[in-house]
Amino acid sequence: MRKNNCELIRRELDELMLGEAHSSAATHHLRECASCREFHEQTTKLRHIVGSLGTVEAPADFDFRLRARLASQASSSVSSIYWPFARRGLALAAMVLLFATGAVVLRNILDKPASVNEVAQQPKVEQPPQKQVEELPVAKENGARTAVIANAGENDTQSIRKLSRPRPDYKKRSVAAMDFSSERANVIGEAGPVGVPAAFPIDASLQSFKVSLNDERGNEKTISVPTISFGSQRIVQGGNQFAPKRDW
Amino acid sequence: MTFSISIRVIALVSALLCAVIATAQTPAPSPKKLPAAPQVVTIIHRLNGLKMFRLLLRSEQVQSIAALDSAFNLMDDVHTNVIAGLAMDDGETIVAWLPEAEVEFGPPGVRLRTMPRPPKAPRAPTQMFPRAGSDLLDAPDLTVIGPDGKSLAARYIGLDAVTGLSILKVENKNAVPASAIHDELVNTGETVLLFGPEQVTKTRPVLARMGALEGRVQDVLPAPSGGIARFKVSGPRLSQANIGRVAVNQAGETVGIIDGLEGGEASILPVALIKRAAQRVLERQASVPRPWLGVQGEAVAELKVDQILNHGWELNRAAALAGKPRGVMLTWIVPGSPAELAALRVGDVILKIDDKDIQTAADFTWWLEQARPSSSVEFTVARPDRLAEEPLNVKLSGMLDRSFNFKWRSRFTPPKGFSLMDQGIETIALKPLVASQLGTTAGLLVVYVDPVTAAFEAGLEPGDVIQTINGKPVLAFKPTTQPASFKFEIVRKKEKRIVTVPAKKK
Repeated sequence: MRKNNCELIRRELDELMLGEAHSSAATHHLRECASCREFHEQTTKLRHIVGSLGTVEAPADFDFRLRARLASQASSSVSSIYWPFARRGLALAAMVLLFATGAVVLRNILDKPASVNEVAQQPKVEQPPQKQVEELPVAKENGARTAVIANAGENDTQSIRKLSRPRPDYKKRSVAAMDFSSERANVIGEAGPVGVPAAFPIDASLQSFKVSLNDERGNEKTISVPTISFGSQRIVQGGNQFAPKRDW
Repeated sequence: MTFSISIRVIALVSALLCAVIATAQTPAPSPKKLPAAPQVVTIIHRLNGLKMFRLLLRSEQVQSIAALDSAFNLMDDVHTNVIAGLAMDDGETIVAWLPEAEVEFGPPGVRLRTMPRPPKAPRAPTQMFPRAGSDLLDAPDLTVIGPDGKSLAARYIGLDAVTGLSILKVENKNAVPASAIHDELVNTGETVLLFGPEQVTKTRPVLARMGALEGRVQDVLPAPSGGIARFKVSGPRLSQANIGRVAVNQAGETVGIIDGLEGGEASILPVALIKRAAQRVLERQASVPRPWLGVQGEAVAELKVDQILNHGWELNRAAALAGKPRGVMLTWIVPGSPAELAALRVGDVILKIDDKDIQTAADFTWWLEQARPSSSVEFTVARPDRLAEEPLNVKLSGMLDRSFNFKWRSRFTPPKGFSLMDQGIETIALKPLVASQLGTTAGLLVVYVDPVTAAFEAGLEPGDVIQTINGKPVLAFKPTTQPASFKFEIVRKKEKRIVTVPAKKK
């Protein structure tokens, strides 16, 4: 149903040199599509007109005048006056940026052991020992992130806790920035309590719809319909879907 | 000089300190969090130029096309609608409230004369528009975007006219997650999320993402036969454009679909009714019309005594009716409707349907919708000129659109009684300039052909331009008597053809 051939064919016709033969697909399309045929004829005509124009000679002092104008513009430029100050400012900004980045990186490094400690200090959850033994190999097989708290204390089976999560627990992290580059984007279909909807492209209609219509009283009006709409807002007024519900 | 350098150093150190403090205090940038609702998918419904003309013709008082955008192609897409859909628990059925669903059917206001029997075997997708060629022009163009962002081809099964929901099937089974759809209980005060696709970028490429509005359940309306009929949800950002969004509770379970908006409150169709709508359409493998009586009315409880008097009731009886209000008073009867055929009149009050009491308009709607189209129902009626209540048997009809609008008939019926619409052909006039732009000459552009008519069988297609009828220019064709057949001279893809259609008897 979708016919986006016109755009492709027109692009091909645009890129052709004058007199160069077009492809068989374009020939076939031009045979059927009146608007593209018209477009081709107009483009060809325009090229012929431009091609038929004679060569225009530049004046002898053109080069000199151009350079002079460029030079006068450069000398009057405001930026040149403030350039030394701007340069210092830029250097200062770069230094600040460097220090800020360093601070963030440093804080990230320092924050990792802290979060582990935080987990270790949480109240212990009693779990049947058998279940824990069964879960560990599964976690390895799945390759899930597993954090084992080594500071076990007296009873290893109670103090070893496993944190198997598909992604970081945002609520427990207090860092300024996190690197998500190694993780796949969250999508709404992903299991888990938290999901970030992923954006996806919509192949919207290419052709616009602008039409003049005559009503039954002979009045003419122009209607322009947007190529895309979201939700249930109707594109044309006066439809039936929102009619009163007292009709049976 | 030294002082200046000191100032600079102090400023630099202060800036660095501020930066460090800010990084320590600022929490991690939290992305917009939504509970997982993989059952909510995105539906893309595309309309070509021909369907847009159809929509304009039915929505506006339009008679002819005077001018078109340059390089306009009738069969190219001109509009794309993006709306939410609900994936049902079989992993292939999708339910959605498509705002332009009506464009895929015949013109509004056309009663279904006979209800076709359900087919023995499910029909192939193209059998909705069975003739080769025409199905490409007229078949609904739908795509489903699953929760993983993948595009899936979908076919339109049909419209459930009772609920306004469209039922689709994706081509690949299990392409959408088969989430359990339970008949969840809904409680007043509960928070729900209303899921629907939202536009991210306006420039091309247009990007969308699933978003959600928060709402609170305000009122749960019980159904007369038990269960929930509707529930109302209020929210700060609700608008008409949100109809069709899928309501999900905090646990991520579907609770309904928005099917209306009144006074800033969304009306939610509960899951049980959504499932029933899907079942109706899937059983038929076609659209299911709503039972149609052909009346307008008001609940007696909503009327004042003088309004009752205006409908032919005597004062003492009108006062008695207003004092103990029940039933629905008829305020208009559609000519030729099942109501008129059953001798219902303006002023009659319908008190019962099949022995079920009617108190409100919602009760009447509910019980009428429980009947099948083309079935018979027993009314108990109170009449202005009769003291006793009367039983009345009414054979209902079916209607695909949600309301009736008969203006089209007056638009298309010339004085001498000939109407292309009576032959199941919907047309719009083309002015010479527009006709030449579309590669044809002036005439009537066919925008819809009813698939159960002789015109369809004879091969008339949407997109054809009718030049002459029985040898006369189409606009001058005004026969005094209906001919036995119509010989249409048409232009299709710049080629002239003759299509002969036997006339339908009135």
